[in-house]
Amino acid sequence: MRKLLYAVVGLVVAVALWEGYKAVGNPDGTVLFGVRVLPRADDLSMPHLWTVLERLGRPELTGGRPVWIVVVRACLFTLGITAVGFVIGAVVGLLLAVVMERFRIVERGLLPYVILSQTVPLVALAPLVAGWGGTIMPAWAVVSLIAAYLAFFPVAVGMLRGLQSPSASGVELMRSYAAGWWRTLVKLRFPSSLPYLFPALRLAGAAAVVGAVVGEISTGTRGGVGRLIIEYSREATSDPAKVYTAMLGAALLGLVVAGLVSLLELPLMRHRRHVEVVTL
Amino acid sequence: MSAVVVSSVTKTFNIGRTDEVTALSEVDLTVGDGEFVSLIGPSGCGKSTLLRLIADLIEPSTGTVTVAGKGAGQARKEQAYGIAFQQAGLFEWRTVLRNVELPLELRGMGKAERKARAEEMLTLVGLEDFGGHYPAQLSGGMQQRVAIARALAVQPPLLLMDEPFGALDEMTRERLQSELLGICAKTGTSTVFVTHSISEAVFLSDRVVVMSARPGRITASVTVDLPSRDDAGRQSPPFFDKITEVRQALRGTPLKTVS
Repeated sequence: MRKLLYAVVGLVVAVALWEGYKAVGNPDGTVLFGVRVLPRADDLSMPHLWTVLERLGRPELTGGRPVWIVVVRACLFTLGITAVGFVIGAVVGLLLAVVMERFRIVERGLLPYVILSQTVPLVALAPLVAGWGGTIMPAWAVVSLIAAYLAFFPVAVGMLRGLQSPSASGVELMRSYAAGWWRTLVKLRFPSSLPYLFPALRLAGAAAVVGAVVGEISTGTRGGVGRLIIEYSREATSDPAKVYTAMLGAALLGLVVAGLVSLLELPLMRHRRHVEVVTL
Repeated sequence: MSAVVVSSVTKTFNIGRTDEVTALSEVDLTVGDGEFVSLIGPSGCGKSTLLRLIADLIEPSTGTVTVAGKGAGQARKEQAYGIAFQQAGLFEWRTVLRNVELPLELRGMGKAERKARAEEMLTLVGLEDFGGHYPAQLSGGMQQRVAIARALAVQPPLLLMDEPFGALDEMTRERLQSELLGICAKTGTSTVFVTHSISEAVFLSDRVVVMSARPGRITASVTVDLPSRDDAGRQSPPFFDKITEVRQALRGTPLKTVS
């Protein structure tokens, strides 16, 4: 209940900031020494929020479906791509973390490349993936792959940290029970990595959304919200509120994904909710 | 048959490197069946190393370790001992009962049987009402009791304890000491107990083994025979005599030297 209240308060603050700046900001933006330090506040750059909301209700094109239906459909399409990319990325990240934890030498050899993988600009990579994968799989699968490429990273790094988190005495205890590598992994390392895994999964969820949206744009895949942003931004001069409807959709998509991921936590983190201490 | 036989064991860490250190040098130790032996000494004397060697958590550089007539490695595989550390080291995602069940689970014991056994162990340490709690809900002393129950769960003939009460307050510590003695008497378990508290060692042990550092070796072995091991025992003259004897041995002016 309180969480909901905070969320509403946060939303109100964001709205107030947007409309507040629009009210006081210079319509041409503030320029200092030839550099624009504050954005333009005119209706073209920052439409009123109610204009954006009202635009959602009007048809996309004259006589067409309302914009909100188009945006929701595009978001659902992208959600599907994101989900596939997220699952692939999470599985790959998990496997990499387990292998790196098991073999020190793999960690040393592989971890730098895992980090390096994220410094390659996605925009440069996406057309390459589309070029290679386009012949053997549908366009949406290519975009999923790009999403997975972004999503695996936080999982691999966070999970590795989590798998290495048990104390030396915990590991010694398992050794004293004559438990081998696999049983130590299942009984000790996996459970103790959960507090590291869930934040990593949330990051991966966000990364998968970004990957899907950017992937759609740079591979030119139709049907998703990424494509919609590009299409609507072409009309930005005549219909500035329209592109914001698509961006709103993308933001909501991110929230939905983050929410779905945190639902995973509930059944697995029960012990964290007991705080009262008994003394005897 | 002796519970533990350590013969001429030397342990050197980081062999061949610049930070090479000899933790133990030519150590001999025998723990009889049902005997309670404490290892005491300054930090760095290798008392924890000795315990870990008996537990086969590390391997000796030279010499042999025998537990219940078997090699230490074999004994570990058969779970011939239970172990407890200074930190209770309970798995926070498991309830108290499931923590105690863990070693039984790894042994492949059936669900109903291990639940019954774990409940029995919790009763032994006085925590039968807390099986459903999570470790974070318990005080430090209670967590340590759970750790002891877990160490006893497989009903091992040997109990290894590394400063198990080191992080507890004095009152809790004394109460747990008495409880531990009661449990050992009831189960007939042999015990090797690492501590840096002289009074704790004297109160608990049949024999206090005194060690010195650099390199770690055994300098004295003090046999303790208190009239009773309760509050009266803590006040008795032999208790204070033995404390003095151990203290002198620690300072390097031993009254008698064994091995």
